[in-house]
Amino acid sequence: MDNHKNPDYMLVIMKNLNLVIILYISLIMASSLSGYIYENSVYEFLAQVSYMPAAAWKIPVISCCLYASCLLIMLIKDAKGYKLVLKISFEIATGFFISCMLGFSYTGILLLIIADTMRFVPKLEQKFPFIVIICLFYFIADYDLVSSRYNLISLETYLGYYQSDIRSALLGIKNVTSSLNTFIFLIYMIMVVRIQMDEKERILELNNQLNSANSELQQANIQLEDYATESVKMAEMKERNRLAREIHDTLGHALTGIITGIEACTTLMDVAPEATKEQLKAIAEVARQGITDVRRSVNALRPDALEKSGLESALITLVKEMRSATSARIEYNFETSLNCFSDDEEDIIYRIVQECITNSIRHGKADKINIHISREFNLLKILIKDNGTGCGEIKKGFGLHHMEERLDMLHGSLDYNGKDGFTVEAKIPIRWGTEQNG
Amino acid sequence: MKNKKNILIVSLSVLLVVSSIVIYCGTYKEFMEGKDKTVTIGLFSDSYWEVQNGYSYCVLDDAIKLFEKQNPGVKVEYTSGILKEDYSEWLSGQLLSENAPDVFYVLADDFNNFAEIGVLADLSLFIKDDKDFNKKAFYSSAYAYGQYDGSQYGLPYECAPKLMFVNKSILDKEGIEVPDEEWTWDDFYSICENVTKDTDGNGTIDQFGVIGYTWEEAFESEGIKLFNQKGTKCDFTDDKIGKALSFIERLESINMGYSADSKDFDLGNVVFQPMSFSTYRAYKPYPLKVKKYTNFEWECIPMPAGPDGDNISTLDTLLIGMNKKSRNKDAAWDLIKTLTYNTKIQSEIFDYSEGVSVLKEVTESEQTLGQLVNGNSFSLAVLSNAVEEAVVVPRFRYYDEAISEVAQAVKAIIDGDYNISTGQIIWNRKINKYLKNSKWK
Repeated sequence: MDNHKNPDYMLVIMKNLNLVIILYISLIMASSLSGYIYENSVYEFLAQVSYMPAAAWKIPVISCCLYASCLLIMLIKDAKGYKLVLKISFEIATGFFISCMLGFSYTGILLLIIADTMRFVPKLEQKFPFIVIICLFYFIADYDLVSSRYNLISLETYLGYYQSDIRSALLGIKNVTSSLNTFIFLIYMIMVVRIQMDEKERILELNNQLNSANSELQQANIQLEDYATESVKMAEMKERNRLAREIHDTLGHALTGIITGIEACTTLMDVAPEATKEQLKAIAEVARQGITDVRRSVNALRPDALEKSGLESALITLVKEMRSATSARIEYNFETSLNCFSDDEEDIIYRIVQECITNSIRHGKADKINIHISREFNLLKILIKDNGTGCGEIKKGFGLHHMEERLDMLHGSLDYNGKDGFTVEAKIPIRWGTEQNG
Repeated sequence: MKNKKNILIVSLSVLLVVSSIVIYCGTYKEFMEGKDKTVTIGLFSDSYWEVQNGYSYCVLDDAIKLFEKQNPGVKVEYTSGILKEDYSEWLSGQLLSENAPDVFYVLADDFNNFAEIGVLADLSLFIKDDKDFNKKAFYSSAYAYGQYDGSQYGLPYECAPKLMFVNKSILDKEGIEVPDEEWTWDDFYSICENVTKDTDGNGTIDQFGVIGYTWEEAFESEGIKLFNQKGTKCDFTDDKIGKALSFIERLESINMGYSADSKDFDLGNVVFQPMSFSTYRAYKPYPLKVKKYTNFEWECIPMPAGPDGDNISTLDTLLIGMNKKSRNKDAAWDLIKTLTYNTKIQSEIFDYSEGVSVLKEVTESEQTLGQLVNGNSFSLAVLSNAVEEAVVVPRFRYYDEAISEVAQAVKAIIDGDYNISTGQIIWNRKINKYLKNSKWK
């Protein structure tokens, strides 16, 4: 990064060097003119020139004024558009007139302007025309070229005032300093070009890095997707195995016990009815134990919605989902808090509501469903009413049975009525102890 | 914030540029000194005609009086005491340090240079705008003297044609009549041939026909135009040049190798010498005052005409120019006009100077001059004609260098072995080459 500062230092050196050269040449010219006047040889001098030079003191004063204004304009670094054009035209004009004042014996100031333009005009396509124009001026302002068109007063003519040894020394100093200026300009340009090349390389490298990172990321993504499908399969497999194990451990165990018990009963029944009774009691106990186990297993497969949030919000989500899935208008009214039930209770309430809505829509073709949950003393009352076709004679399908069974487990009851739409009313006794918890 | 800074930068640099322009053009002087009501004029204290003269500022002082009366509130100032030999240097120094007077006299030798480097204001615009000014009042040759590259950079102040001085005593002695004003090269040659002799019998020629008559006088009276107006081309192969060269060759051969100088003329041993009319005026009317030529009678007549030319020669003219950087150009123009165009001031030239007025009206009506030339071999009309018809040389820079190149050619041809027409062709090429190169000097 420090490397990038070097051209700026070069520019500062160039600016100072140009000031020195301009001062040097203009002072030589001024002192020569004064010398001619002092020595009364102006007439001789005028015989060699083709125009009247400005008064001696004016040459350094005007050159420095113009140079100062050029440097000032160079301080503006954020010009854009027409302002940039104006800025550079101003610089070229002042540079050209300074060269003019110095009889075109020094044109290095235009190099300074090129250097400044290179540094502070950001885009290459903008730089190009400016640099071409400045170069054009640089070539036009060359002494030999201009003097072939217009008869200029060469620095040598001015220096004619001095003796030849002093003259060549003065000229030598001028040539050395102006070559130094060109040399610094060259170094400066090399630096600027180097920096630009470095920049390009850096950008290229970053680009490459980005590309490789991108492809790595893509691969990782594919792997991740593979992994995801795998893990879904694994979960499925795991769940299946678990279910199989559960069934085997609970239902299988209980059923096996029941079958063996009943087989024993069939042989015992006639021989020892009392023992058979005992045996049947034991079998019932086994069956009950099995049911408990199954319930426990099923509990582990609770609906997702309940798992994530409370019963009330799960129901609301359900209603919303059904609303959006069907055209039915589903209203709900929860008069009591639903947040104080145990998991199995919540499960059953949720299933009942779900089943009823499904039935109303599937069998009753209802377009309006009303869900009302309220509480009467220690009974939770769920009333679900729709405006569907209903039915005269109710055939208990799996759904209603299932509901009744579930409610049984909670010692609740279920009533339904198929006239005037379909109405389901479920009553669940609230267990002591849980009520206060909510 | 940044915008403010930029505005400050831009206005500062514009201020610097404007002040540079003000300094360059010298407009600041007006702010410092206010509107100037003084016109300065530069001139030298002695006579332009290289003769003794005690009245150098008389004409100018009268002109200033007249000018200040016509332009109330405007003052004219001049620096006195500058000799003619220092004048060019003084003026150049003043011009270079930008202190030069608004109006200044321009010596004929300096005019081309000053016009070329642009220190003289172009008077054409003033002439065009000034309804009182009519250039026809001037002798056209004198007026043309102030022209350079198609513009009028100066107006003539006084002039003098080149004339032929004749030693009447020798002609009387030899029984030859003074030639009339339309004499030719043949008359000239035969007189020279007759008078060139050894009078005291010591074996060396001691009486000569002519001195100082060079190829330049011969070219002028043969009507030869050497250069084009811009000085880029020279026609040295003209037949007339051949005639002039052979005439010079013949004239020189009369002396048979002996040569005379101006001292011989002063001593009364030479019949002819070309001289400026101002010299005639300086010495003729005041024989008691300046006794330069005491031992012989003398006279002056126009130049002898060549076979294709006329009895003419060049005109020496003192010009007045205006400083291009003058801040009071209108007043300066009025002052120039007072000096050159006012008949009263111009007639004073005959009282205080040795030249001839550049205004036809003044010169032709001049009493003094009429008395001066009457009774001589030529009339006032002849003089006036000699001025009007005088040769106008092209005005270009390095004219003097080009002329010396031609002089070298003439010398080489006359002294050389090859014949004249071959020499003309060879030197034509050389001179044109020189002109081409000097253009880029």
